[in-house]
Amino acid sequence: MLAGSIILQPMVTRSNANWLSDLRAKGGARESALSDLRDVIQHGLPFAVSRWVSAQDPFFAPLLEEVTQETLLRVLDQLDSFEGRSLFTTWVQKIAVRIALTELRRKRWQDSSLDEMLDNDVSPAPPGLMADRSPGPDVLAERDDMIAHVRRILEQELTPKQREALILLGIQDVPLEEAASRMKTNRNALYKLLHDARLRLKRRLGAEGLNAAEILSAFEPK
Amino acid sequence: MSEPFHKLLGRLRRDHEPLSDEVVKGFLRILERARIEDIPCSQVYNRLDEYVEKDVHGHAAAKLMPLLREHLDCCHDCSEEYEALMRVLRQASGEG
Repeated sequence: MLAGSIILQPMVTRSNANWLSDLRAKGGARESALSDLRDVIQHGLPFAVSRWVSAQDPFFAPLLEEVTQETLLRVLDQLDSFEGRSLFTTWVQKIAVRIALTELRRKRWQDSSLDEMLDNDVSPAPPGLMADRSPGPDVLAERDDMIAHVRRILEQELTPKQREALILLGIQDVPLEEAASRMKTNRNALYKLLHDARLRLKRRLGAEGLNAAEILSAFEPK
Repeated sequence: MSEPFHKLLGRLRRDHEPLSDEVVKGFLRILERARIEDIPCSQVYNRLDEYVEKDVHGHAAAKLMPLLREHLDCCHDCSEEYEALMRVLRQASGEG
Protein backbone atom coordinates (compact mmCIF):
# COMPACT_ATOMS: atom_id res chain seq x y z
CA MET A 1 0.00 0.00 0.00
CA LEU A 2 1.35 3.36 -0.93
CA ALA A 3 -0.67 5.61 1.35
CA GLY A 4 0.49 9.19 1.14
CA SER A 5 1.93 8.68 -2.31
CA ILE A 6 -1.13 9.83 -4.20
CA ILE A 7 0.15 11.18 -7.45
CA LEU A 8 -2.50 11.45 -10.09
CA GLN A 9 -2.13 9.19 -13.09
CA PRO A 10 -0.79 11.46 -15.79
CA MET A 11 -3.15 11.83 -18.71
CA VAL A 12 -0.54 11.46 -21.37
CA THR A 13 -1.68 10.10 -24.70
CA ARG A 14 1.27 10.71 -26.96
CA SER A 15 2.33 8.02 -29.39
CA ASN A 16 5.94 6.90 -29.40
CA ALA A 17 6.55 9.02 -32.50
CA ASN A 18 5.02 12.08 -30.83
CA TRP A 19 7.14 11.65 -27.72
CA LEU A 20 10.28 11.51 -29.84
CA SER A 21 9.38 14.46 -32.03
CA ASP A 22 8.29 16.63 -29.10
CA LEU A 23 11.41 15.85 -27.09
CA ARG A 24 13.57 16.65 -30.12
CA ALA A 25 11.70 19.89 -30.80
CA LYS A 26 12.59 23.33 -29.48
CA GLY A 27 10.55 25.53 -27.18
CA GLY A 28 7.09 24.83 -25.85
CA ALA A 29 6.55 21.38 -27.33
CA ARG A 30 9.71 20.11 -25.71
CA GLU A 31 8.97 21.78 -22.38
CA SER A 32 5.51 20.30 -22.34
CA ALA A 33 6.82 16.82 -23.20
CA LEU A 34 9.46 17.04 -20.47
CA SER A 35 6.84 18.11 -17.95
CA ASP A 36 4.57 15.21 -18.93
CA LEU A 37 7.46 12.79 -18.80
CA ARG A 38 8.32 14.02 -15.36
CA ASP A 39 4.77 13.20 -14.25
CA VAL A 40 5.01 9.75 -15.79
CA ILE A 41 8.24 9.00 -13.91
CA GLN A 42 6.98 10.37 -10.60
CA HIS A 43 3.76 8.45 -10.86
CA GLY A 44 5.52 5.14 -11.41
CA LEU A 45 8.47 5.42 -9.05
CA PRO A 46 6.61 4.91 -5.75
CA PHE A 47 5.43 1.55 -7.05
CA ALA A 48 8.85 0.65 -8.40
CA VAL A 49 10.62 1.22 -5.09
CA SER A 50 7.81 0.17 -2.74
CA ARG A 51 9.75 -2.90 -1.62
CA TRP A 52 12.65 -0.77 -0.44
CA VAL A 53 11.27 2.55 0.72
CA SER A 54 7.82 3.86 1.56
CA ALA A 55 6.48 7.17 0.38
CA GLN A 56 6.48 8.36 4.02
CA ASP A 57 10.20 7.80 4.45
CA PRO A 58 12.12 11.10 4.65
CA PHE A 59 14.54 9.62 2.13
CA PHE A 60 11.75 9.14 -0.42
CA ALA A 61 11.13 12.73 -1.61
CA PRO A 62 14.79 13.53 -2.36
CA LEU A 63 15.18 10.13 -4.01
CA LEU A 64 12.14 10.80 -6.20
CA GLU A 65 13.50 14.15 -7.31
CA GLU A 66 17.02 12.91 -7.88
CA VAL A 67 15.89 9.89 -9.89
CA THR A 68 13.48 12.00 -11.93
CA GLN A 69 16.17 14.51 -12.86
CA GLU A 70 18.72 11.84 -13.70
CA THR A 71 16.17 9.87 -15.72
CA LEU A 72 15.19 12.91 -17.80
CA LEU A 73 18.83 13.67 -18.54
CA ARG A 74 19.52 10.08 -19.52
CA VAL A 75 16.41 9.85 -21.68
CA LEU A 76 17.37 12.96 -23.61
CA ASP A 77 20.90 11.65 -23.98
CA GLN A 78 19.75 8.23 -25.20
CA LEU A 79 16.74 9.17 -27.33
CA ASP A 80 18.37 7.78 -30.47
CA SER A 81 18.77 4.37 -28.84
CA PHE A 82 15.01 3.91 -28.33
CA GLU A 83 14.04 1.17 -30.78
CA GLY A 84 10.27 1.27 -30.31
CA ARG A 85 9.99 -2.31 -29.01
CA SER A 86 7.80 -1.05 -26.17
CA LEU A 87 5.83 2.03 -25.28
CA PHE A 88 8.15 4.99 -24.95
CA THR A 89 6.92 5.51 -21.39
CA THR A 90 7.79 1.91 -20.47
CA TRP A 91 11.29 2.46 -21.83
CA VAL A 92 11.56 5.61 -19.71
CA GLN A 93 10.26 3.79 -16.62
CA LYS A 94 12.88 1.11 -17.17
CA ILE A 95 15.59 3.76 -17.08
CA ALA A 96 14.08 5.27 -13.92
CA VAL A 97 13.96 1.84 -12.26
CA ARG A 98 17.63 1.19 -13.04
CA ILE A 99 18.65 4.58 -11.63
CA ALA A 100 16.48 4.25 -8.51
CA LEU A 101 17.54 0.72 -7.66
CA THR A 102 21.20 1.50 -8.25
CA GLU A 103 20.91 4.36 -5.78
CA LEU A 104 19.01 2.25 -3.24
CA ARG A 105 21.55 -0.57 -3.48
CA ARG A 106 24.41 1.88 -3.08
CA LYS A 107 22.76 3.37 -0.01
CA ARG A 108 21.94 -0.03 1.47
CA TRP A 109 25.54 -1.17 1.21
CA GLN A 110 26.89 2.12 2.42
CA ASP A 111 24.73 1.82 5.52
CA SER A 112 25.65 -1.73 6.39
CA SER A 113 28.82 -1.90 8.42
CA LEU A 114 31.76 -3.97 7.30
CA ASP A 115 31.73 -5.74 10.63
CA GLU A 116 28.15 -6.75 10.12
CA MET A 117 29.03 -8.18 6.74
CA LEU A 118 31.86 -10.14 8.31
CA ASP A 119 29.58 -11.49 10.98
CA ASN A 120 27.34 -12.78 8.21
CA ASP A 121 30.29 -14.05 6.20
CA VAL A 122 28.39 -17.01 4.85
CA SER A 123 24.71 -17.00 4.03
CA PRO A 124 22.71 -19.31 6.25
CA ALA A 125 22.48 -22.73 4.78
CA PRO A 126 19.04 -23.96 3.75
CA PRO A 127 17.20 -25.86 6.46
CA GLY A 128 18.02 -29.13 4.75
CA LEU A 129 21.72 -28.59 5.28
CA MET A 130 21.35 -27.37 8.84
CA ALA A 131 19.07 -30.08 10.10
CA ASP A 132 21.75 -32.72 10.23
CA ARG A 133 20.45 -35.31 12.66
CA SER A 134 23.44 -37.18 14.00
CA PRO A 135 24.72 -39.03 10.95
CA GLY A 136 26.97 -41.99 11.61
CA PRO A 137 30.78 -41.84 11.40
CA ASP A 138 30.84 -43.46 7.95
CA VAL A 139 28.43 -40.88 6.57
CA LEU A 140 30.40 -38.06 8.14
CA ALA A 141 33.64 -39.38 6.66
CA GLU A 142 32.06 -39.65 3.21
CA ARG A 143 30.78 -36.10 3.47
CA ASP A 144 34.18 -34.82 4.54
CA ASP A 145 35.80 -36.61 1.59
CA MET A 146 33.29 -35.17 -0.85
CA ILE A 147 33.66 -31.62 0.46
CA ALA A 148 37.44 -31.96 0.34
CA HIS A 149 37.23 -33.19 -3.24
CA VAL A 150 34.98 -30.33 -4.32
CA ARG A 151 37.27 -27.91 -2.49
CA ARG A 152 40.22 -29.19 -4.53
CA ILE A 153 38.23 -28.75 -7.74
CA LEU A 154 37.33 -25.18 -6.79
CA GLU A 155 40.95 -24.38 -6.02
CA GLN A 156 42.15 -25.88 -9.28
CA GLU A 157 39.50 -24.44 -11.58
CA LEU A 158 38.81 -20.92 -10.33
CA THR A 159 40.97 -17.92 -11.02
CA PRO A 160 41.40 -15.54 -8.06
CA LYS A 161 38.98 -13.10 -9.73
CA GLN A 162 36.35 -15.78 -10.27
CA ARG A 163 36.74 -16.93 -6.69
CA GLU A 164 36.29 -13.40 -5.41
CA ALA A 165 33.26 -12.85 -7.66
CA LEU A 166 31.60 -16.06 -6.53
CA ILE A 167 32.13 -15.25 -2.88
CA LEU A 168 30.79 -11.71 -3.26
CA LEU A 169 27.81 -12.51 -5.44
CA GLY A 170 26.96 -16.08 -4.65
CA ILE A 171 27.86 -16.40 -1.00
CA GLN A 172 27.65 -12.86 0.35
CA ASP A 173 24.73 -11.78 -1.86
CA VAL A 174 26.43 -8.46 -2.56
CA PRO A 175 24.51 -6.64 -5.34
CA LEU A 176 26.09 -6.88 -8.77
CA GLU A 177 26.68 -3.13 -9.06
CA GLU A 178 28.37 -2.99 -5.68
CA ALA A 179 30.52 -6.04 -6.36
CA ALA A 180 31.52 -4.62 -9.74
CA SER A 181 32.52 -1.38 -8.08
CA ARG A 182 34.64 -3.19 -5.49
CA MET A 183 36.31 -5.29 -8.16
CA LYS A 184 36.87 -2.24 -10.36
CA THR A 185 34.93 -3.66 -13.27
CA ASN A 186 31.41 -3.24 -14.66
CA ARG A 187 28.21 -5.16 -14.06
CA ASN A 188 28.23 -6.87 -17.43
CA ALA A 189 31.81 -8.04 -17.23
CA LEU A 190 31.31 -9.28 -13.71
CA TYR A 191 28.21 -11.26 -14.63
CA LYS A 192 30.17 -12.83 -17.49
CA LEU A 193 33.03 -13.69 -15.14
CA LEU A 194 30.59 -15.32 -12.73
CA HIS A 195 28.82 -17.17 -15.50
CA ASP A 196 32.07 -18.51 -16.94
CA ALA A 197 33.16 -19.65 -13.48
CA ARG A 198 29.91 -21.49 -12.87
CA LEU A 199 30.06 -23.24 -16.21
CA ARG A 200 33.70 -24.18 -15.76
CA LEU A 201 32.94 -25.77 -12.40
CA LYS A 202 29.82 -27.46 -13.66
CA ARG A 203 31.70 -29.01 -16.58
CA ARG A 204 34.54 -30.20 -14.34
CA LEU A 205 32.08 -31.84 -11.95
CA GLY A 206 30.29 -33.39 -14.90
CA ALA A 207 33.55 -34.76 -16.29
CA GLU A 208 34.01 -36.56 -12.96
CA GLY A 209 30.48 -37.93 -13.02
CA LEU A 210 29.29 -35.55 -10.29
CA ASN A 211 26.63 -32.90 -10.10
CA ALA A 212 25.97 -30.25 -7.51
CA ALA A 213 22.43 -31.35 -6.66
CA GLU A 214 23.50 -34.93 -5.91
CA ILE A 215 26.39 -33.81 -3.73
CA LEU A 216 24.16 -31.42 -1.78
CA SER A 217 21.52 -34.11 -1.34
CA ALA A 218 24.10 -36.15 0.58
CA PHE A 219 23.98 -33.44 3.26
CA GLU A 220 20.24 -33.53 3.67
CA PRO A 221 18.79 -35.43 6.61
CA LYS A 222 17.67 -38.94 5.76
CA MET B 1 38.18 -6.61 16.16
CA SER B 2 37.60 -8.37 12.86
CA GLU B 3 39.44 -7.12 9.83
CA PRO B 4 37.40 -5.29 7.19
CA PHE B 5 35.60 -7.39 4.65
CA HIS B 6 37.53 -6.19 1.59
CA LYS B 7 40.85 -6.85 3.36
CA LEU B 8 39.68 -10.32 4.25
CA LEU B 9 38.83 -10.98 0.62
CA GLY B 10 42.21 -9.68 -0.47
CA ARG B 11 43.93 -11.97 1.99
CA LEU B 12 41.85 -14.92 0.84
CA ARG B 13 42.95 -14.24 -2.70
CA ARG B 14 46.60 -13.80 -1.84
CA ASP B 15 47.05 -16.67 0.55
CA HIS B 16 44.64 -19.13 -1.04
CA GLU B 17 43.29 -20.08 2.31
CA PRO B 18 41.20 -23.23 2.15
CA LEU B 19 37.55 -22.54 1.55
CA SER B 20 35.38 -23.40 4.52
CA ASP B 21 32.87 -26.25 4.25
CA GLU B 22 30.00 -23.77 4.19
CA VAL B 23 31.59 -21.79 1.35
CA VAL B 24 32.11 -25.02 -0.62
CA LYS B 25 28.45 -25.90 -0.09
CA GLY B 26 27.52 -22.34 -1.10
CA PHE B 27 29.38 -22.82 -4.38
CA LEU B 28 27.55 -26.09 -4.95
CA ARG B 29 24.24 -24.31 -4.51
CA ILE B 30 25.32 -21.73 -7.08
CA LEU B 31 26.24 -24.53 -9.48
CA GLU B 32 22.82 -26.09 -9.07
CA ARG B 33 21.41 -22.96 -10.69
CA ALA B 34 24.04 -22.62 -13.42
CA ARG B 35 22.81 -22.88 -16.99
CA ILE B 36 24.81 -23.52 -20.11
CA GLU B 37 23.26 -20.76 -22.21
CA ASP B 38 23.05 -17.25 -20.91
CA ILE B 39 22.89 -13.66 -22.04
CA PRO B 40 24.59 -10.71 -20.37
CA CYS B 41 22.85 -8.20 -18.11
CA SER B 42 23.14 -5.49 -20.77
CA GLN B 43 21.16 -7.56 -23.24
CA VAL B 44 18.51 -8.23 -20.61
CA TYR B 45 18.29 -4.53 -19.82
CA ASN B 46 17.94 -3.64 -23.51
CA ARG B 47 14.88 -5.87 -23.85
CA LEU B 48 13.43 -5.61 -20.35
CA ASP B 49 10.76 -3.04 -21.24
CA GLU B 50 9.55 -5.22 -24.11
CA TYR B 51 9.59 -8.34 -21.91
CA VAL B 52 7.66 -6.71 -19.08
CA GLU B 53 5.00 -5.36 -21.43
CA LYS B 54 4.49 -8.83 -22.87
CA ASP B 55 4.30 -10.26 -19.37
CA VAL B 56 1.80 -7.71 -18.12
CA HIS B 57 -0.42 -8.26 -21.13
CA GLY B 58 -0.28 -12.05 -20.79
CA HIS B 59 1.68 -12.66 -23.97
CA ALA B 60 3.77 -15.58 -22.69
CA ALA B 61 6.91 -13.50 -22.37
CA ALA B 62 8.89 -16.38 -20.88
CA LYS B 63 8.15 -18.60 -23.87
CA LEU B 64 8.87 -15.87 -26.38
CA MET B 65 12.10 -14.78 -24.70
CA PRO B 66 13.31 -17.86 -22.78
CA LEU B 67 16.95 -16.81 -22.40
CA LEU B 68 15.87 -13.56 -20.81
CA ARG B 69 13.63 -15.48 -18.40
CA GLU B 70 16.48 -17.81 -17.49
CA HIS B 71 18.77 -14.86 -16.84
CA LEU B 72 16.15 -13.33 -14.55
CA ASP B 73 16.02 -16.62 -12.63
CA CYS B 74 19.77 -16.50 -12.02
CA CYS B 75 20.58 -12.79 -11.70
CA HIS B 76 19.35 -11.14 -8.53
CA ASP B 77 19.86 -7.55 -9.65
CA CYS B 78 18.14 -7.95 -13.03
CA SER B 79 15.32 -9.82 -11.34
CA GLU B 80 14.79 -6.95 -8.90
CA GLU B 81 14.59 -4.51 -11.80
CA TYR B 82 12.13 -6.75 -13.62
CA GLU B 83 9.88 -6.94 -10.56
CA ALA B 84 10.06 -3.18 -9.99
CA LEU B 85 9.10 -2.46 -13.58
CA MET B 86 6.32 -5.03 -13.38
CA ARG B 87 4.87 -3.20 -10.37
CA VAL B 88 4.90 0.09 -12.29
CA LEU B 89 3.18 -1.36 -15.33
CA ARG B 90 0.68 -3.38 -13.33
CA GLN B 91 -0.56 -0.31 -11.48
CA ALA B 92 -0.68 1.60 -14.75
CA SER B 93 -2.84 -1.09 -16.29
CA GLY B 94 -5.07 -1.14 -13.22
CA GLU B 95 -3.98 -4.50 -11.84
CA GLY B 96 -1.83 -3.27 -8.98
